[in-house]
Amino acid sequence: MSKSIFSKIICCCLILSVVQFAQAQKGKFDFSEEKNVYNQIADVPVLTKDGTQKLSVLYSRSPLIVALIFTRCTGICSPLLLNLSEQISHLHTDPKENFKVLVISFDPRDQFEDMARMAKQYARENDPNWIFAVTPQISELTSSLAFNPVWDEDRQQLDHEALLSGINTDGYVTKNLIGLRDQQAIYSLIKSINNEFILSYPLPGNNNFLSCFSYDPSTGKKSWSWGMFLLVLPAIIAAGIVTILVNQKKTLHHN
Amino acid sequence: MINLSLKRVTSVWIIAILVVFVITAIFGITMRFNQGGDIELSPVTFFSLMTAHGVTMVGIWSVAGMMAVNYLMARYVKVSTAVNVFALVLTVIGLVMLWTSTFVGYFHAGWTFLYPLPFFVAWESWATPLFLYSIAIFGIGWTVWTVAMLMQIYKKYSLAQSFAWQHFKRGYLVETPPFILITTVSLIGILICLITAVILLVLLFAEYYSNGTFTNDALLIKNLTYFFGHTIINEALYLGVATLYELFPEVSGRPKFKTTWYVALAWNCTLVFVLTAFFHHLYMDFVQPVGLQLVGQFASYFASLPSAAVTVFSIVILVYKNPIKWSLTNTLFFIGVIGWIIGGFGAVIDATISNNFVLHNTLWVPAHFHTYNAMGNVLFSLAFFYWVANEFAGTKVVPRSEKLRIGLLLIGGFGFVLMFYIAGAYSIPRRYSVYPDELALGRNLASYGGWFATIYVIAILLFLGEIVNKCLKVFSPRSSAAA
Repeated sequence: MSKSIFSKIICCCLILSVVQFAQAQKGKFDFSEEKNVYNQIADVPVLTKDGTQKLSVLYSRSPLIVALIFTRCTGICSPLLLNLSEQISHLHTDPKENFKVLVISFDPRDQFEDMARMAKQYARENDPNWIFAVTPQISELTSSLAFNPVWDEDRQQLDHEALLSGINTDGYVTKNLIGLRDQQAIYSLIKSINNEFILSYPLPGNNNFLSCFSYDPSTGKKSWSWGMFLLVLPAIIAAGIVTILVNQKKTLHHN
Repeated sequence: MINLSLKRVTSVWIIAILVVFVITAIFGITMRFNQGGDIELSPVTFFSLMTAHGVTMVGIWSVAGMMAVNYLMARYVKVSTAVNVFALVLTVIGLVMLWTSTFVGYFHAGWTFLYPLPFFVAWESWATPLFLYSIAIFGIGWTVWTVAMLMQIYKKYSLAQSFAWQHFKRGYLVETPPFILITTVSLIGILICLITAVILLVLLFAEYYSNGTFTNDALLIKNLTYFFGHTIINEALYLGVATLYELFPEVSGRPKFKTTWYVALAWNCTLVFVLTAFFHHLYMDFVQPVGLQLVGQFASYFASLPSAAVTVFSIVILVYKNPIKWSLTNTLFFIGVIGWIIGGFGAVIDATISNNFVLHNTLWVPAHFHTYNAMGNVLFSLAFFYWVANEFAGTKVVPRSEKLRIGLLLIGGFGFVLMFYIAGAYSIPRRYSVYPDELALGRNLASYGGWFATIYVIAILLFLGEIVNKCLKVFSPRSSAAA
């Protein structure tokens, strides 16, 4: 009897292990917001309406939200800037939380005039909190932000992520946001570049399939994950061992 | 059946544990004097000492409890001396590896070796795997020993009898001695946390040898670490309580404790609650669900209440207005219960979420665990050592320094932990190698604590001399001839 219970426990463990393995293969996350955090942005020269200056001059005055776009973009650049502009206009930030938005092109074809035209399109040409700029050292800038646009010959476009990087007054990347994000995410980015503590928890990647909890960013749903099973497993194994030990006595008596 | 080989291996255990305890206590005193500014250590030396002190103390007092119950179990069931020797050898090998990793390789990630700290190598690169292998060696030895002891219990008792479930009904035929009940509950708890340690080590080794293809979840590893660490130290204390139930009435000249329904219920509850109390170590981990934090708080209350309440009630009933033959053995047990209760009360205060916001990672934490270890579990084991050494020597001569030893132990022990409590109440942080001027109070209290701990160690040395001398008698030709 005990033997059969033990066999059932072992079978359950094996089935759960297989299901867990299958689950691990199913979830292929590739979020890179954690990549490059706490690295320093390259101190490249930037051309703004105030002339050429080092990037460090800008971020040392106030922390920056860096939006990487290009003016000929037919994809995500425009929605990214519109969303950022809209979210910021609705924010009620603490007066201590100061910041500027640096919109900088990563397309070598862009001239400052292109960026000035873009500023006008978004009605930000006279906004002191928005800086539109170009740099002659694009690759240094993009590589320091781990931002890797890829040239698509067919579309004549640069394929890229919709990235917002938060830079604090020491020039460190404190937080990255990928995609069009809600007000709460933008607010936490602003808090982070002002060196305020932000709660964060990295999402499990391909090489991390034993987490305690999982989170589906598309639905916002949080759930228990297979790692939690490992907290129960010792008790199950111990119960199995005790079952064998108790059974051993019966076997001895039987013999 | 207690035979000569069991006596001899028990003697070796006792001598080894006491010698290692004194050395490891000196590590702790050195740390307190460094925090007090009396001596100057490099931060690496300080944290290497802290790592060695923590792991060694947890280890030796866990095996001290196992060794004591293994010896006393021989009164009820047959025990294996070979497995006992096997555990002793692996413990010594593990200890050599541990101290090599900390003092030669300068591994200093603390006794909790919290992930991902062991992989941020700030020491010799070989020290991380050596440290983890030392824990694995301890784990193998103790797991085999635990299973062997449980095997012997289940050769005589059924599952229900081992948990004293028949005591919930009237008219039972077989009585489960309290010693067997508490030993079973504690050994199963120890087995569960040793299996947890195996899972923990497998995950850490998997990451270490995977070259980046596998990474662990920090929250999972923290849960596993405290499941193992918190639980084993509590179960070790319960093994000490098992020896108390067996020996206290005997040496006091009173009838043996009986298992009643409430004793059975209390220890069955303890098994469940002690396994879930560790969640209180993760109150500051904001990603842990609130439900688990509440489980941690309430399990901490329920784990300590039944066993402590029943034990204190039993001791008070036994002592109150009854003629007691007081000796060093039952005095040590009695003080040990006081230390356990004070330390447990400090633990419950800290395990309350609203208090933990203030006390987390302050010296309140070492205050409570040093109280129920140094003034609780250590005294339970010391009482057993002293009793068994007298059994080996065949003498019951009352030493002249009896009152001096107890006096030094009380002044040194409670003075030492009081400095921790005061510092904790003033929010002095723990795990600081030196305290800055803003925390000057912590510096002064650390220095006083170091001196009190020195008094405590002097008391232990007085015990050590006599106990070692008596334990060595089992190796004399006369003992062999008598056997």
